[in-house]
Amino acid sequence: METENIIEMLHITKEFPGIIANDDITLQLRRGEIHALLGENGAGKSTLMSVLFGLYQPEAGEIRKNGQVVKIHNPNDATALGIGMVHQHFKLIDVFTVLDNIILGAETTKLGFLQKKEARKKVEALSERYGLKVDLDAKVEDITVGMQQRVEILKMLYRDNEILIFDEPTAVLTPQEIDELMDTMREFAKEGKSILFISHKLNEIMAVSDRVTVLRKGKYVGTVNTKDTDQQSLSNMMVGRPVQLKVDKTPAKPGDVVLDVKGLSVHARTRKKDAVHDVSFQVRKGEIVCIAGIDGNGQTELVYGLTGLEKCSGGAVTLCGKDISHASIHQRGENMSHIPEDRHKHGLVLDFTLEQNLVLQRYREPEFQHLGFIKKGAVRQYAERLIEQYDVRSGQGPVTIARSMSGGNQQKAIIAREVDRDKPLIVAVQPTRGLDVGAIEYIHSQLVAERDKGRAVLLVSLELDEVMSLSDRILVMYEGEIVGELDPATTTVQELGLYMAGAKRTTKAGEQA
Amino acid sequence: MKQKISGLYQKDGTKSVLAALISIIIGLAVGSLIILAVGVANPTLGLTGAWDGIRLVFVGILSTGRDAAGALTFGFNPTSVGNMLFRATPLILTGLSVAVAFKTGLFNIGAPGQYLMGTAATLIIALSIPSDVVPTWLIWWLAFLGGALAGALWGCIPGLVKAFLNINEVLACIMTNWIAANLVTWVFDGSNYRNLVENTKSGYIYKTSFNGVETAKLGLDKLFPNSQVNGGILVAIVIAILMYVLMTKTTLGYELKACGSNRHAARYAGIRDKRNIVLSMAIAGALSGAAAALYYLSGNTEFFWSTYQSLPATGFNGIPVALLAASNPIAVIFTGCFMSMLDIVGLQLTNLTAYNEYITDVIIATIVYLSAFTLVIKTFLSGRKKRKAQAARAQAVPEEAPKPDAAEGKGGDGV
Repeated sequence: METENIIEMLHITKEFPGIIANDDITLQLRRGEIHALLGENGAGKSTLMSVLFGLYQPEAGEIRKNGQVVKIHNPNDATALGIGMVHQHFKLIDVFTVLDNIILGAETTKLGFLQKKEARKKVEALSERYGLKVDLDAKVEDITVGMQQRVEILKMLYRDNEILIFDEPTAVLTPQEIDELMDTMREFAKEGKSILFISHKLNEIMAVSDRVTVLRKGKYVGTVNTKDTDQQSLSNMMVGRPVQLKVDKTPAKPGDVVLDVKGLSVHARTRKKDAVHDVSFQVRKGEIVCIAGIDGNGQTELVYGLTGLEKCSGGAVTLCGKDISHASIHQRGENMSHIPEDRHKHGLVLDFTLEQNLVLQRYREPEFQHLGFIKKGAVRQYAERLIEQYDVRSGQGPVTIARSMSGGNQQKAIIAREVDRDKPLIVAVQPTRGLDVGAIEYIHSQLVAERDKGRAVLLVSLELDEVMSLSDRILVMYEGEIVGELDPATTTVQELGLYMAGAKRTTKAGEQA
Repeated sequence: MKQKISGLYQKDGTKSVLAALISIIIGLAVGSLIILAVGVANPTLGLTGAWDGIRLVFVGILSTGRDAAGALTFGFNPTSVGNMLFRATPLILTGLSVAVAFKTGLFNIGAPGQYLMGTAATLIIALSIPSDVVPTWLIWWLAFLGGALAGALWGCIPGLVKAFLNINEVLACIMTNWIAANLVTWVFDGSNYRNLVENTKSGYIYKTSFNGVETAKLGLDKLFPNSQVNGGILVAIVIAILMYVLMTKTTLGYELKACGSNRHAARYAGIRDKRNIVLSMAIAGALSGAAAALYYLSGNTEFFWSTYQSLPATGFNGIPVALLAASNPIAVIFTGCFMSMLDIVGLQLTNLTAYNEYITDVIIATIVYLSAFTLVIKTFLSGRKKRKAQAARAQAVPEEAPKPDAAEGKGGDGV
């Protein structure tokens, strides 16, 4: 029974200033199993894996491999022990080729010269064997995210690792790529490799893992066999209370038109074609309208055009009766709040404190400044109220540097800031991306509450579940155009999928089906 | 809670100060080593000469010359201190110029060019307005503001290029530096002030005192007799305080910093990012221009018109001043004074020993290198603190640990 465990992490404790990230956590990984590590954002999953990979040193506890106590001081030690990791944010050098990236740090050399031929043979053999298709001579910056991930996996295989850590590997993948990844993982397990799979997506964990260890707020909750549990009980374990997986909402009572878009076109940055072409729709008070579609079909540019981040090349946008087609971002902000797609690029100034970020949209208002001087006390008070009301967790409260916060709490901070601005229109772009069920439930209920208060909500989402459960009306975008308007109550996921793939479209006036 | 937070801030501040002090001490130590090496190798200096040199490196500002027996004497030397403050004036301002740009995410290596443009504007205004018609105090202010404005306009160029064409400001700054150097030479080449004669000295030099324009001494000459100090140092200090207030207390400072640290997020929040980048560079340029204005308006400072061969060192020295100060405007006052103190030390070395003043350049160079490492030193300092805390914890744990451990173990089993 003891030798069955290839890796044991016993009573691991790791502290950061103001927060205990791992508090006496024990994790036992069996040979040849896929072991899922489940927890909310900030539960300590990534920290625990970083300890195993030698990036952090725990304050207490020990790690054993095959029953022997080992010390892992840095990633090199981890590699020597056969531990490999695919990080959530890939660690690849963009301007190097795929092959160079794979052999980097483990180069075969003869008299100081690289022996790339041998390396190439080995990588090609591995790539063939596991069906991990990559272009060895392409530069990393030119390949898709899915292929970048395969490069990361090949890196681990090239180093003959037998313990593979996947840190939220599916967050960046398309549904198809996710299926392929799962097949690959099963293949690895069959060959006796042991896999640690970090995720907070319950359906994936149910589909691929053998056992699940659940963490909550840095503490160990328990380990269960996947076949003895279900999504509901896993999510309860993770959040610590019964979770509503379905959105609870009453039928919408749409009122006046808030946002009226007529024939809007937005140029693409790279291609000559319009990224958004002749799009018209309306969003009314008290309804959630969802723009659905596969990533890259113009949703991002549509939002840029609406919010002013990009210039519109044609058409008109009317917000609350005012034409804002050529208004500045600041002017548009008077009636619109915007939860941006990329929280690190647009949503936050990462080197600012939490309180400075919370007033990012409002510091000009008389409440927070007088004659150009910022009212420090008012900002602090406001920040404390938002933190309390929206349950934004951080190490040092209002003065926490935003960069040091977990992704989920960064997102909560943005939601708090935008929802609290109290504007007639909320544009929310993938507001729950990369978040755990607890946070998703919270954000969904916030959006529904805002709708019920009579605000118009324009939601852009790539998640079919979210689209189906949250929206009152669905607009499907395909190649920069709106190809259909659907009612979630009468539509099936399959039908929605057909529209998203461009296989079906409703005829609009002046256009051909 | 509040006390805790301010405590944290203080800790970070103390670390910055400590890091700067460590850089300074290592710099002085390296300078001393070189003095020692030179002294031992040179029979006219020897160990006693080296000892004199080393003492001067550390406390040269307090040197009062040699006594009758030929030994170095030390004490408060008002002339040295006054001259230090005089030389610190432009350094504080160019230091502020670099520091403010740093805070907004820009590297203003264009301070020498802005300084030159400020010089040209100041001199032209100060010398061309007839002082028999216009009161000299008004000419002084016009020349000062003109210098700052010229610097600001010159600083705008790299700012505009960065904002609208996305060209790195370092490149544009270096180019504008040399354009300024040649432009200023060309302008003065054709000017009428070239052959002003003072006593028997004539030639290509410019002094604002030709036109009776001089910075008021404001009594500082009584405090530091025989020195060049004037009211300029007070102007510099006031500007430093204003910059501190601007950057930390105002919405404008907030906007500038937001643009500097995340241009996209600033744009998202409706801040005009392009305007702010240009504005940052304009403010930085104005500070450099003001540095030149205060230096040349002192009246007795000479400007040699042919500048195209080299750039003014005062502009570049703003970079170490800002680095040592960790870009804090208030700290810049002190690091500016320190750098000018090294100048004085160099003079004392030349006057009182057989060493030459360039030893202090070695010290400055060492400090510049180390000031780039202040972050490393800071990390090292916090690392030490952490290790100490860990050691303390390790000792404290055995007594307290078992209880919560047991309690939590039970909680964990229950789920």
